[in-house]
Amino acid sequence: MAGSRLEKVGTIYSRTTGLIRSGAINWADRPLWYDVYEAFPPKEEPRFDRPAPNMTLKKIFYEEDKLRAMFHRNNKHLGSSNMFNNKYKSLTQKFIEAYRKLESENPEYTEEGLYKRAIEMLRRDKEVDNRSEEEVISLSEAFREATGNRSKEKPQIDLSTIFKE
Amino acid sequence: MLKRINNTTFANLRSLYLSANHRQQLEQDKAPKRMRDEVLLHPDYFRVHNLFTVKDLFDARVHFGHRDGSLDEKMLPYIYGSRLGHIIFDLDKTAEYLRTALNVTAQIAYRDGVILFFNRGAQHAYLVEKTAKECGEFAHTRFWRGGIFTNSTKQFGCVTRLPDLCIFLNTLNNVLIQHTAIRDSAKMLITTIGIVDSNCNPNLLTYPVPGNDDSPTSVELYCKLFKAAILRGKEKRKEHIEQNVY
Repeated sequence: MAGSRLEKVGTIYSRTTGLIRSGAINWADRPLWYDVYEAFPPKEEPRFDRPAPNMTLKKIFYEEDKLRAMFHRNNKHLGSSNMFNNKYKSLTQKFIEAYRKLESENPEYTEEGLYKRAIEMLRRDKEVDNRSEEEVISLSEAFREATGNRSKEKPQIDLSTIFKE
Repeated sequence: MLKRINNTTFANLRSLYLSANHRQQLEQDKAPKRMRDEVLLHPDYFRVHNLFTVKDLFDARVHFGHRDGSLDEKMLPYIYGSRLGHIIFDLDKTAEYLRTALNVTAQIAYRDGVILFFNRGAQHAYLVEKTAKECGEFAHTRFWRGGIFTNSTKQFGCVTRLPDLCIFLNTLNNVLIQHTAIRDSAKMLITTIGIVDSNCNPNLLTYPVPGNDDSPTSVELYCKLFKAAILRGKEKRKEHIEQNVY
Protein backbone atom coordinates (compact mmCIF):
# COMPACT_ATOMS: atom_id res chain seq x y z
CA MET A 1 0.00 0.00 0.00
CA ALA A 2 1.15 3.49 -0.69
CA GLY A 3 2.19 5.44 2.36
CA SER A 4 3.94 8.56 3.48
CA ARG A 5 6.59 7.84 6.08
CA LEU A 6 7.40 11.44 6.90
CA GLU A 7 6.04 11.42 10.43
CA LYS A 8 7.38 14.91 11.09
CA VAL A 9 5.22 16.50 8.36
CA GLY A 10 1.55 17.17 9.14
CA THR A 11 -0.58 14.52 10.84
CA ILE A 12 -1.51 10.97 9.91
CA TYR A 13 -4.88 12.32 8.78
CA SER A 14 -3.45 15.06 6.56
CA ARG A 15 -0.96 12.65 4.97
CA THR A 16 -3.65 10.05 4.28
CA THR A 17 -5.95 12.72 2.88
CA GLY A 18 -3.13 13.82 0.57
CA LEU A 19 -2.62 10.29 -0.66
CA ILE A 20 -6.35 9.88 -1.32
CA ARG A 21 -6.56 13.22 -3.12
CA SER A 22 -3.56 12.45 -5.30
CA GLY A 23 -4.99 9.06 -6.18
CA ALA A 24 -2.25 7.01 -4.54
CA ILE A 25 -4.90 5.36 -2.37
CA ASN A 26 -8.41 4.62 -3.59
CA TRP A 27 -11.25 6.00 -1.52
CA ALA A 28 -12.42 2.43 -0.98
CA ASP A 29 -8.98 1.37 0.31
CA ARG A 30 -8.65 4.13 2.89
CA PRO A 31 -7.47 3.07 6.35
CA LEU A 32 -10.07 1.68 8.72
CA TRP A 33 -9.63 4.51 11.22
CA TYR A 34 -10.11 7.27 8.62
CA ASP A 35 -13.88 7.67 9.09
CA VAL A 36 -13.54 7.37 12.85
CA TYR A 37 -10.93 10.14 12.86
CA GLU A 38 -13.17 12.36 10.75
CA ALA A 39 -16.13 11.80 13.06
CA PHE A 40 -14.11 12.16 16.29
CA PRO A 41 -11.05 14.28 15.60
CA PRO A 42 -8.61 14.63 18.51
CA LYS A 43 -8.76 17.90 20.45
CA GLU A 44 -5.26 18.89 19.36
CA GLU A 45 -3.75 17.96 16.03
CA PRO A 46 -1.18 15.20 16.59
CA ARG A 47 1.62 17.11 14.88
CA PHE A 48 5.23 16.32 15.63
CA ASP A 49 6.20 20.01 15.70
CA ARG A 50 3.36 21.26 17.92
CA PRO A 51 5.13 23.79 20.17
CA ALA A 52 4.88 23.68 23.95
CA PRO A 53 2.21 26.14 25.14
CA ASN A 54 3.34 29.30 26.86
CA MET A 55 2.02 28.46 30.31
CA THR A 56 3.48 28.51 33.78
CA LEU A 57 3.18 25.66 36.22
CA LYS A 58 0.74 26.65 38.95
CA LYS A 59 1.77 25.97 42.54
CA ILE A 60 -1.00 24.35 44.56
CA PHE A 61 -1.43 25.87 48.00
CA TYR A 62 -4.45 26.06 50.29
CA GLU A 63 -5.36 28.57 52.95
CA GLU A 64 -5.05 26.02 55.72
CA ASP A 65 -1.47 25.13 54.69
CA LYS A 66 -0.29 27.80 57.13
CA LEU A 67 -2.04 26.00 59.99
CA ARG A 68 -0.76 22.65 58.74
CA ALA A 69 2.81 23.99 58.74
CA MET A 70 2.38 25.43 62.22
CA PHE A 71 1.02 22.14 63.57
CA HIS A 72 3.80 20.06 62.05
CA ARG A 73 6.56 22.50 63.03
CA ASN A 74 5.60 22.16 66.69
CA ASN A 75 4.81 18.43 66.64
CA LYS A 76 7.57 16.50 64.92
CA HIS A 77 6.59 13.00 66.00
CA LEU A 78 3.00 12.49 64.98
CA GLY A 79 3.35 8.91 63.78
CA SER A 80 2.24 7.59 60.42
CA SER A 81 -1.23 7.75 58.91
CA ASN A 82 -2.82 5.70 56.16
CA MET A 83 -3.40 7.95 53.16
CA PHE A 84 -5.77 5.51 51.44
CA ASN A 85 -8.14 5.58 54.38
CA ASN A 86 -10.86 8.13 53.68
CA LYS A 87 -13.08 7.01 56.57
CA TYR A 88 -11.35 8.74 59.45
CA LYS A 89 -9.93 12.22 59.68
CA SER A 90 -6.22 12.56 60.25
CA LEU A 91 -4.86 14.33 63.30
CA THR A 92 -3.91 17.37 61.19
CA GLN A 93 -7.44 17.61 59.78
CA LYS A 94 -8.87 17.42 63.31
CA PHE A 95 -6.50 20.17 64.42
CA ILE A 96 -7.47 22.42 61.53
CA GLU A 97 -11.16 21.88 62.28
CA ALA A 98 -10.68 22.68 65.95
CA TYR A 99 -8.66 25.79 65.09
CA ARG A 100 -11.25 27.04 62.61
CA LYS A 101 -14.05 26.45 65.09
CA LEU A 102 -12.24 28.38 67.81
CA GLU A 103 -11.36 31.15 65.38
CA SER A 104 -14.97 31.66 64.35
CA GLU A 105 -16.17 31.60 67.98
CA ASN A 106 -13.48 33.87 69.42
CA PRO A 107 -12.18 36.29 66.83
CA GLU A 108 -10.30 38.28 69.50
CA TYR A 109 -7.71 35.50 70.18
CA THR A 110 -4.19 35.71 68.79
CA GLU A 111 -2.70 33.01 66.60
CA GLU A 112 -0.73 31.56 69.48
CA GLY A 113 -3.70 31.50 71.81
CA LEU A 114 -5.84 29.79 69.18
CA TYR A 115 -3.11 27.21 68.60
CA LYS A 116 -2.77 26.40 72.29
CA ARG A 117 -6.51 26.11 72.78
CA ALA A 118 -6.90 23.92 69.70
CA ILE A 119 -4.19 21.57 70.95
CA GLU A 120 -5.91 21.46 74.33
CA MET A 121 -9.20 20.64 72.61
CA LEU A 122 -7.56 17.79 70.70
CA ARG A 123 -6.07 16.44 73.92
CA ARG A 124 -9.43 16.58 75.66
CA ASP A 125 -11.11 14.76 72.78
CA LYS A 126 -8.41 12.13 72.88
CA GLU A 127 -8.91 11.60 76.63
CA VAL A 128 -12.65 11.23 76.12
CA ASP A 129 -11.93 8.67 73.39
CA ASN A 130 -9.49 6.82 75.61
CA ARG A 131 -11.90 6.74 78.54
CA SER A 132 -14.64 5.30 76.39
CA GLU A 133 -12.28 2.50 75.29
CA GLU A 134 -11.02 1.82 78.78
CA GLU A 135 -12.11 -1.79 78.89
CA VAL A 136 -10.40 -2.60 75.64
CA ILE A 137 -6.75 -3.53 76.11
CA SER A 138 -4.96 -1.10 73.85
CA LEU A 139 -1.38 -1.75 72.82
CA SER A 140 -0.53 1.93 72.66
CA GLU A 141 -2.01 2.46 76.12
CA ALA A 142 0.04 -0.41 77.54
CA PHE A 143 3.17 0.97 75.92
CA ARG A 144 2.51 4.44 77.30
CA GLU A 145 2.01 3.03 80.77
CA ALA A 146 5.19 0.99 80.58
CA THR A 147 7.28 3.96 79.44
CA GLY A 148 5.76 6.06 82.23
CA ASN A 149 6.72 3.45 84.83
CA ARG A 150 10.22 3.16 83.43
CA SER A 151 10.89 6.88 83.78
CA LYS A 152 9.70 6.72 87.39
CA GLU A 153 11.93 3.80 88.23
CA LYS A 154 14.99 5.37 86.69
CA PRO A 155 17.87 5.00 89.20
CA GLN A 156 19.66 8.15 90.13
CA ILE A 157 23.17 7.82 88.73
CA ASP A 158 25.76 10.52 89.11
CA LEU A 159 28.63 10.15 86.66
CA SER A 160 31.11 11.78 88.96
CA THR A 161 30.50 9.24 91.71
CA ILE A 162 30.24 6.14 89.55
CA PHE A 163 33.78 4.78 90.21
CA LYS A 164 33.85 5.62 93.90
CA GLU A 165 33.61 2.96 96.63
CA MET B 1 -1.15 34.53 -19.71
CA LEU B 2 0.25 31.05 -19.25
CA LYS B 3 -0.27 31.35 -15.55
CA ARG B 4 -3.91 32.25 -16.03
CA ILE B 5 -4.50 29.24 -18.27
CA ASN B 6 -2.88 27.01 -15.73
CA ASN B 7 -5.05 28.47 -13.04
CA THR B 8 -8.23 27.98 -15.02
CA THR B 9 -7.40 24.39 -15.96
CA PHE B 10 -6.63 23.70 -12.35
CA ALA B 11 -9.97 25.20 -11.33
CA ASN B 12 -11.74 23.09 -13.94
CA LEU B 13 -10.06 19.94 -12.77
CA ARG B 14 -10.92 20.80 -9.21
CA SER B 15 -14.58 21.35 -9.99
CA LEU B 16 -14.62 18.09 -11.95
CA TYR B 17 -13.07 16.29 -9.01
CA LEU B 18 -15.49 17.87 -6.56
CA SER B 19 -18.52 17.03 -8.68
CA ALA B 20 -17.34 13.42 -8.93
CA ASN B 21 -17.00 13.35 -5.17
CA HIS B 22 -20.43 14.90 -4.81
CA ARG B 23 -21.97 12.30 -7.14
CA GLN B 24 -20.37 9.55 -5.09
CA GLN B 25 -21.89 11.01 -1.97
CA LEU B 26 -25.33 11.28 -3.59
CA GLU B 27 -25.13 7.62 -4.60
CA GLN B 28 -24.27 6.77 -1.05
CA ASP B 29 -27.28 8.72 0.19
CA LYS B 30 -29.60 6.71 -2.05
CA ALA B 31 -28.33 3.38 -0.71
CA PRO B 32 -30.09 1.93 2.37
CA LYS B 33 -28.67 3.19 5.65
CA ARG B 34 -25.84 1.13 7.07
CA MET B 35 -25.29 0.97 10.81
CA ARG B 36 -21.53 1.48 10.44
CA ASP B 37 -22.23 5.01 9.18
CA GLU B 38 -25.03 5.61 11.67
CA VAL B 39 -22.78 4.66 14.56
CA LEU B 40 -20.38 7.47 13.68
CA LEU B 41 -23.12 10.11 13.85
CA HIS B 42 -23.85 9.40 17.50
CA PRO B 43 -21.48 11.23 19.87
CA ASP B 44 -21.18 8.20 22.16
CA TYR B 45 -22.90 5.20 20.58
CA PHE B 46 -21.25 2.57 22.81
CA ARG B 47 -21.98 4.58 25.97
CA VAL B 48 -18.38 4.47 27.11
CA HIS B 49 -18.89 7.61 29.21
CA ASN B 50 -20.50 5.54 31.99
CA LEU B 51 -17.54 3.16 32.29
CA PHE B 52 -15.85 5.33 34.91
CA THR B 53 -16.22 8.46 37.02
CA VAL B 54 -13.67 11.07 38.05
CA LYS B 55 -13.83 9.57 41.56
CA ASP B 56 -12.70 6.21 40.12
CA LEU B 57 -9.73 7.95 38.51
CA PHE B 58 -8.89 9.61 41.82
CA ASP B 59 -9.14 6.32 43.73
CA ALA B 60 -6.87 4.67 41.16
CA ARG B 61 -4.31 7.45 41.77
CA VAL B 62 -4.36 8.64 38.17
CA HIS B 63 -3.73 12.24 39.29
CA PHE B 64 -0.19 11.62 40.54
CA GLY B 65 2.54 12.75 38.15
CA HIS B 66 6.29 12.71 38.57
CA ARG B 67 8.42 15.34 40.33
CA ASP B 68 8.26 18.72 38.60
CA GLY B 69 11.94 18.50 37.57
CA SER B 70 11.15 15.82 34.97
CA LEU B 71 8.18 17.71 33.51
CA ASP B 72 7.82 17.82 29.72
CA GLU B 73 6.53 21.32 28.92
CA LYS B 74 4.13 19.96 26.29
CA MET B 75 2.15 18.38 29.13
CA LEU B 76 1.40 21.75 30.78
CA PRO B 77 -2.20 22.15 29.51
CA TYR B 78 -3.23 18.84 31.14
CA ILE B 79 -1.75 19.63 34.55
CA TYR B 80 -3.60 21.12 37.50
CA GLY B 81 -0.49 22.23 39.33
CA SER B 82 2.50 21.28 41.40
CA ARG B 83 1.89 20.35 45.02
CA LEU B 84 5.16 20.75 46.93
CA GLY B 85 7.17 19.58 43.91
CA HIS B 86 4.84 16.81 42.72
CA ILE B 87 2.83 17.21 39.53
CA ILE B 88 -0.93 16.75 39.93
CA PHE B 89 -3.03 16.09 36.82
CA ASP B 90 -6.35 17.82 36.18
CA LEU B 91 -8.68 14.81 36.35
CA ASP B 92 -11.54 16.63 34.60
CA LYS B 93 -9.33 16.93 31.54
CA THR B 94 -8.06 13.37 31.90
CA ALA B 95 -11.66 12.14 31.98
CA GLU B 96 -12.48 14.06 28.80
CA TYR B 97 -9.48 12.70 26.89
CA LEU B 98 -9.99 9.19 28.23
CA ARG B 99 -13.64 9.17 27.12
CA THR B 100 -12.64 10.21 23.59
CA ALA B 101 -9.97 7.51 23.56
CA LEU B 102 -12.41 4.84 24.79
CA ASN B 103 -14.98 5.89 22.21
CA VAL B 104 -12.41 5.62 19.41
CA THR B 105 -11.32 2.22 20.73
CA ALA B 106 -14.90 0.96 20.70
CA GLN B 107 -15.46 2.36 17.19
CA ILE B 108 -12.37 0.64 15.83
CA ALA B 109 -13.27 -2.63 17.56
CA TYR B 110 -16.75 -2.29 16.00
CA ARG B 111 -15.15 -1.95 12.56
CA ASP B 112 -13.12 -5.12 13.19
CA GLY B 113 -9.83 -3.29 13.52
CA VAL B 114 -6.73 -4.99 14.86
CA ILE B 115 -5.80 -3.49 18.22
CA LEU B 116 -2.33 -3.81 19.72
CA PHE B 117 -1.53 -3.08 23.38
CA PHE B 118 1.93 -1.86 24.33
CA ASN B 119 3.60 -1.68 27.68
CA ARG B 120 7.27 -1.72 28.62
CA GLY B 121 8.08 -2.64 32.17
CA ALA B 122 8.02 -6.13 33.59
CA GLN B 123 5.70 -5.20 36.45
CA HIS B 124 2.59 -4.81 34.29
CA ALA B 125 3.55 -7.04 31.36
CA TYR B 126 1.46 -10.02 32.46
CA LEU B 127 -1.59 -7.87 33.23
CA VAL B 128 -1.47 -6.20 29.81
CA GLU B 129 -0.98 -9.48 27.95
CA LYS B 130 -3.84 -11.04 29.87
CA THR B 131 -6.12 -8.08 29.07
CA ALA B 132 -5.30 -8.33 25.37
CA LYS B 133 -5.98 -12.06 25.40
CA GLU B 134 -9.30 -11.63 27.19
CA CYS B 135 -10.64 -9.21 24.60
CA GLY B 136 -9.21 -11.17 21.66
CA GLU B 137 -6.59 -8.61 20.67
CA PHE B 138 -2.82 -8.41 20.71
CA ALA B 139 -0.08 -7.19 23.04
CA HIS B 140 3.61 -6.39 22.74
CA THR B 141 5.37 -5.95 26.06
CA ARG B 142 8.93 -6.94 25.18
CA PHE B 143 11.90 -5.27 23.57
CA TRP B 144 10.83 -3.61 20.33
CA ARG B 145 12.94 -4.85 17.46
CA GLY B 146 13.07 -2.04 14.92
CA GLY B 147 11.27 -2.60 11.66
CA ILE B 148 8.36 -4.71 12.89
CA PHE B 149 6.02 -2.13 11.35
CA THR B 150 8.31 -0.36 8.91
CA ASN B 151 9.97 -3.42 7.40
CA SER B 152 7.21 -5.97 7.96
CA THR B 153 7.12 -7.33 4.40
CA LYS B 154 10.79 -8.31 4.61
CA GLN B 155 10.70 -9.47 8.23
CA PHE B 156 7.64 -11.67 7.92
CA GLY B 157 8.17 -12.67 4.32
CA CYS B 158 4.88 -11.44 2.89
CA VAL B 159 2.44 -8.52 2.99
CA THR B 160 1.39 -8.15 6.61
CA ARG B 161 -1.71 -6.57 8.04
CA LEU B 162 -0.55 -3.98 10.55
CA PRO B 163 -2.71 -3.00 13.54
CA ASP B 164 -5.32 -0.28 13.10
CA LEU B 165 -4.96 1.06 16.61
CA CYS B 166 -2.02 0.96 19.02
CA ILE B 167 -2.76 1.49 22.70
CA PHE B 168 0.29 2.47 24.73
CA LEU B 169 -0.22 1.94 28.46
CA ASN B 170 3.07 3.71 28.91
CA THR B 171 4.79 5.62 26.16
CA LEU B 172 8.35 5.37 27.43
CA ASN B 173 10.55 2.32 27.17
CA ASN B 174 12.69 0.99 29.99
CA VAL B 175 15.44 3.57 29.50
CA LEU B 176 12.91 6.43 29.62
CA ILE B 177 13.02 7.47 25.98
CA GLN B 178 9.96 7.39 23.78
CA HIS B 179 8.88 3.97 22.53
CA THR B 180 10.02 3.51 18.91
CA ALA B 181 6.65 2.04 18.00
CA ILE B 182 5.05 5.48 18.45
CA ARG B 183 7.23 6.92 15.71
CA ASP B 184 6.77 3.80 13.58
CA SER B 185 2.97 3.95 13.97
CA ALA B 186 3.01 7.57 12.80
CA LYS B 187 5.15 6.53 9.83
CA MET B 188 2.84 3.66 8.88
CA LEU B 189 -0.36 5.77 9.31
CA ILE B 190 -1.69 3.94 12.35
CA THR B 191 -3.72 5.72 15.02
CA THR B 192 -2.29 5.67 18.53
CA ILE B 193 -3.75 6.07 21.99
CA GLY B 194 -1.29 6.62 24.83
CA ILE B 195 -1.29 7.23 28.55
CA VAL B 196 1.14 10.14 28.89
CA ASP B 197 2.68 10.84 32.26
CA SER B 198 4.16 14.22 33.16
CA ASN B 199 7.56 13.25 31.70
CA CYS B 200 6.24 12.14 28.28
CA ASN B 201 5.75 13.90 24.97
CA PRO B 202 2.14 13.75 23.72
CA ASN B 203 2.79 15.24 20.27
CA LEU B 204 2.92 12.16 18.04
CA LEU B 205 0.07 10.34 19.77
CA THR B 206 -3.25 10.71 18.00
CA TYR B 207 -5.32 10.48 21.17
CA PRO B 208 -3.17 11.19 24.23
CA VAL B 209 -4.60 10.57 27.71
CA PRO B 210 -2.81 12.45 30.49
CA GLY B 211 -2.41 10.39 33.65
CA ASN B 212 -0.22 8.30 35.91
CA ASP B 213 1.26 5.32 34.04
CA ASP B 214 3.30 3.78 36.86
CA SER B 215 0.93 2.77 39.67
CA PRO B 216 -0.46 -0.77 39.45
CA THR B 217 -3.94 0.49 40.39
CA SER B 218 -4.06 2.99 37.54
CA VAL B 219 -2.72 0.50 34.97
CA GLU B 220 -5.35 -1.98 36.16
CA LEU B 221 -8.03 0.68 35.69
CA TYR B 222 -6.87 1.51 32.14
CA CYS B 223 -6.77 -2.19 31.25
CA LYS B 224 -10.28 -2.69 32.61
CA LEU B 225 -11.65 0.33 30.72
CA PHE B 226 -10.06 -0.46 27.35
CA LYS B 227 -11.14 -4.07 27.62
CA ALA B 228 -14.73 -3.04 28.37
CA ALA B 229 -14.73 -0.59 25.43
CA ILE B 230 -13.38 -3.21 23.00
CA LEU B 231 -15.89 -5.81 24.16
CA ARG B 232 -18.78 -3.34 23.75
CA GLY B 233 -17.67 -2.56 20.21
CA LYS B 234 -17.35 -6.23 19.30
CA GLU B 235 -20.69 -7.09 20.85
CA LYS B 236 -22.49 -4.42 18.80
CA ARG B 237 -20.71 -5.59 15.66
CA LYS B 238 -21.89 -9.14 16.23
CA GLU B 239 -25.43 -7.94 16.92
CA HIS B 240 -25.56 -5.79 13.78
CA ILE B 241 -24.12 -8.51 11.56
CA GLU B 242 -26.73 -10.94 12.87
CA GLN B 243 -29.48 -8.43 12.08
CA ASN B 244 -27.85 -7.85 8.69
CA VAL B 245 -27.61 -4.08 9.14
CA TYR B 246 -23.82 -3.63 9.51
